[in-house]
Amino acid sequence: MTYGSDFDGGAAFSGGGFMPSPPTQTADPSPSAFSKNRDTQTLIPLTAKQINKALLSNDDKVNFIIDGVDVSNVKLVGMVLEKDDRVTNVSFFLDDGTGRIECNRWIQDPVDTKEMNSIMNGMYVRVHGQIKGFQGKKQLVVFGIKPVTEFDEITHHFVECIYVHSYNTKLMKQKASSSSNQTHTPGSAVKTQAYITASSNQFTAHYGVHHGVEGVEKMVLDYLMFPASLAREKGVHQDELVSQLGIPLDRIKAAINFLMEEAAVYDVDDVHYQGSGQCVILISSF
Amino acid sequence: MDTSNPAVFVNGGLLCSYVSRRVRMVIQVVRPDAGGLTGRSADDKEIVVKGQMPSPLTTFVEVIGVAETESAISIRAETVTNFGDTFDANNFNQLCQLANGDFRQLFI
Repeated sequence: MTYGSDFDGGAAFSGGGFMPSPPTQTADPSPSAFSKNRDTQTLIPLTAKQINKALLSNDDKVNFIIDGVDVSNVKLVGMVLEKDDRVTNVSFFLDDGTGRIECNRWIQDPVDTKEMNSIMNGMYVRVHGQIKGFQGKKQLVVFGIKPVTEFDEITHHFVECIYVHSYNTKLMKQKASSSSNQTHTPGSAVKTQAYITASSNQFTAHYGVHHGVEGVEKMVLDYLMFPASLAREKGVHQDELVSQLGIPLDRIKAAINFLMEEAAVYDVDDVHYQGSGQCVILISSF
Repeated sequence: MDTSNPAVFVNGGLLCSYVSRRVRMVIQVVRPDAGGLTGRSADDKEIVVKGQMPSPLTTFVEVIGVAETESAISIRAETVTNFGDTFDANNFNQLCQLANGDFRQLFI
């Protein structure tokens, strides 16, 4: 499965006002900054217990944080209980065996009514929605609801919850250890992208995130993309890269050549290099 | 089911450790009995279920109920749901082991 795309967003959108301006001095280059970007909001499968335990994100006090990831759109599978039909909305409890969560489906047109009429108490359903907190209680605003017909889906959903949880906690550990570590170990490929459910038709542009760039190239790119490096008019001297990253000059030069081909870096002169501030999207094969 | 008493995913082997607690398991129906049914769990243990059954009964059912303190592995069912005729018991078995092992905190 490919999580990247071979579409070069920089070439397509440059000049159209869609490209983000280069990061300012105060911008935080660490991976946690991009999770606030709406483009990177993902659909996360969760258990009711995880939702009930979730804490409010410190930054915006609107979104919740689960396993270090901003969570907004979620997927649950469980049994419908206490369905209550009202004029403008239908509310029910979703019970997935790990806990219960109150759900609200707003009725806007006959399609919504028809969808909700086919849902009965005691039925297993799959629900997509957004978590909202209200007076300390968590509620789910439901966008879509479908009855479960193949019950392997229940096993699949919970296994997926386990996978996502495991992926995100591993990511958290990596972030914690890499931020406290001043010298990167060469050849370590740190994937900083949070979990995205695979969607082959969907094109996503992740500004400032570099897919498929590993090892030495990633270290060089990261160094050149620091706001302090980008702010320098003359760019960064290649000897500085050698001494700061502890990598021999020939490998640095090979990495820079690769990055220049990908338009992530350009040369100010023969020995000075500057990050281009553009997004880099490469095909990554898994 | 409510938040104060969640139902744990179990298979036959784990049922004994959850005696008198609410559990959920998917079992393959072997034969219906008076007052319930006898089935085989995802890990091939024989399970006796007591309670009201839906009819018609499909090959697999999910039983949510309280594990009983008898020598025979049995559940007093609160809810029995037909799970159809095709269900991957092996996957469910693996899920039970994960849900009770490394990833307990997501479930209970």
